[in-house]
Amino acid sequence: MAEPMELLCWGGDWDLPSVHTDSLIVLAYAKFSGAKLAVKSIDWTWRTITASVPQLHYEASTVTEPTQILNFLRKQRFNADYELTAKQGADTMAYIALLEEKLRPALLHTFWVDADNYANLTRPWFTSHSPFPLNFFVPGRQASLALSRILLTKAESPLLNITEVEGKIYSEAKECLNLLSHRLGNFHFFFGDTPTSLDAFVFGHIAPLIKAPLPSGQLQKHLNQLDNLCQFCNTILKNYFNASAEKRTDCSPTAIHDPVDANLQKLTQLVNKESNLIEKMDDNLRSSPQHRPNSTPPS
Amino acid sequence: MSLAAEAFVSQIAAAEPWPEKATLYQPLKEDQILLSDSASSLAVQTFLRMCGLPVQVSCCANAEYMSPSGKVPFIHVGNQVVSELGPIVQFIKAKGHSLSDGLDDVQRAEMKAYMELVNNMLLTAELYIQWCDDYTATEISRPRYSSPYSWPLNHILAYQKQWEVRRKMNAIGWSGKNLEQVYEDVSQCCQALSQRLGTQPYFFNKQPTELDALVFGHLFTILTTQLTNDELAEKVKSYTNLLSFCHRIEQTYFKEDKGSRSV
Repeated sequence: MAEPMELLCWGGDWDLPSVHTDSLIVLAYAKFSGAKLAVKSIDWTWRTITASVPQLHYEASTVTEPTQILNFLRKQRFNADYELTAKQGADTMAYIALLEEKLRPALLHTFWVDADNYANLTRPWFTSHSPFPLNFFVPGRQASLALSRILLTKAESPLLNITEVEGKIYSEAKECLNLLSHRLGNFHFFFGDTPTSLDAFVFGHIAPLIKAPLPSGQLQKHLNQLDNLCQFCNTILKNYFNASAEKRTDCSPTAIHDPVDANLQKLTQLVNKESNLIEKMDDNLRSSPQHRPNSTPPS
Repeated sequence: MSLAAEAFVSQIAAAEPWPEKATLYQPLKEDQILLSDSASSLAVQTFLRMCGLPVQVSCCANAEYMSPSGKVPFIHVGNQVVSELGPIVQFIKAKGHSLSDGLDDVQRAEMKAYMELVNNMLLTAELYIQWCDDYTATEISRPRYSSPYSWPLNHILAYQKQWEVRRKMNAIGWSGKNLEQVYEDVSQCCQALSQRLGTQPYFFNKQPTELDALVFGHLFTILTTQLTNDELAEKVKSYTNLLSFCHRIEQTYFKEDKGSRSV
């Protein structure tokens, strides 16, 4: 066989093969489809600032971006989506779009914009994994990219301030996690018993959120209450990455049917209430002199 | 204020019935409105028709600036102003009209996922083609967008809007794409929608939902808008079930005033 394909990605920590969402997606898909990748981590090299990670090198070509890399692997006949029907393929695209729109902004905020987390976890980690003198630049650059992405896509006037957007993106992210949990139900993977590219994308997004020791993580707390998603993540880690992932004490192997559903209902109601609350806040923000004010002022 | 009290107050505000003089605002239809705004506006109008709620469409040159979130279309109902399809659907749900009540949780998850797919791919592709493709931007988007204004305001506003859209494309990583890749993305999105629709009349079998309104809004606008080339419309036309879907919705909900418009 020709030389193996080489993947550049960020290194691992916290029981994960990589701490970077996009790299995790590619690593997981490679395991699912049986592709052998030579994984090279870019930690402590100059590539932390020059390369756009993850990056796949094969023969002479270079592919970046998770979607492109997955397409490339499929063309090389490493296809984990072989058994999906056309409709399931369409569902995959739709759910991936849902993850990107609703969950990714909140993930970026949790890791890169939230002051507590950034100062105590993310920046030290990335600083310690970058060579001198890049360790001064790399985390800051990532943080400003994350902030600008959130503001440009989610903040519409008059919500130009990041604090006002926070409420909105977290409630959307919680709703997205609830939806994913509903869809997963009691199954091992999203489409039956074998993992597919959708499983890789979901794993890539939620694994750092579950495993990272975040000082202030309201989204993490919400996710920990969704047992089936935690279970999903741990199953993949155990079966495909041979990590001695300590099973979390509240994710027991035997799926407890009723408490899961009851939990989910409660969480769905909480998220709905929160979104009503946020709309009320939006209304208050937007009531300007030319509009007639609401008759009941908030106390 | 406690959560329960907030919910109670918003219920009171939403308990007013739908007034007769609800208005929907959008930019000028003949000269100013662009593809993406026209698609969003049509989606909202379709949704309101599906709910059976009458609304008057009013075209104003400064609709974008009147909107509370800066995006069109927006509706003015009673003493409240709501913009964009997502918040409008929730607002109408609070008033007691909903198209997606009959769906169970998994189907609702699917519906939301497909709506995000349309927003993520189709809407972004429309914005890209309008503002990041130099030829289209120069020939169509900038002249149309700034047509109600006089010199030099028209130049300033057009370039400002273009710069804003390009920044957004940069942030989400679309600025590295070329036009061919964008057309390819549109084609994949249409393929996913076509596969999901299959042979059913609507996306969730017999009843139309907000997803049908959104898809119709975008596809119908793409098919009937004249751009610098027809490639976008051709991509959509290659999926026959999507074409017949658009026909069906047009016949059912718009037949009284658009009977002669052909696709």
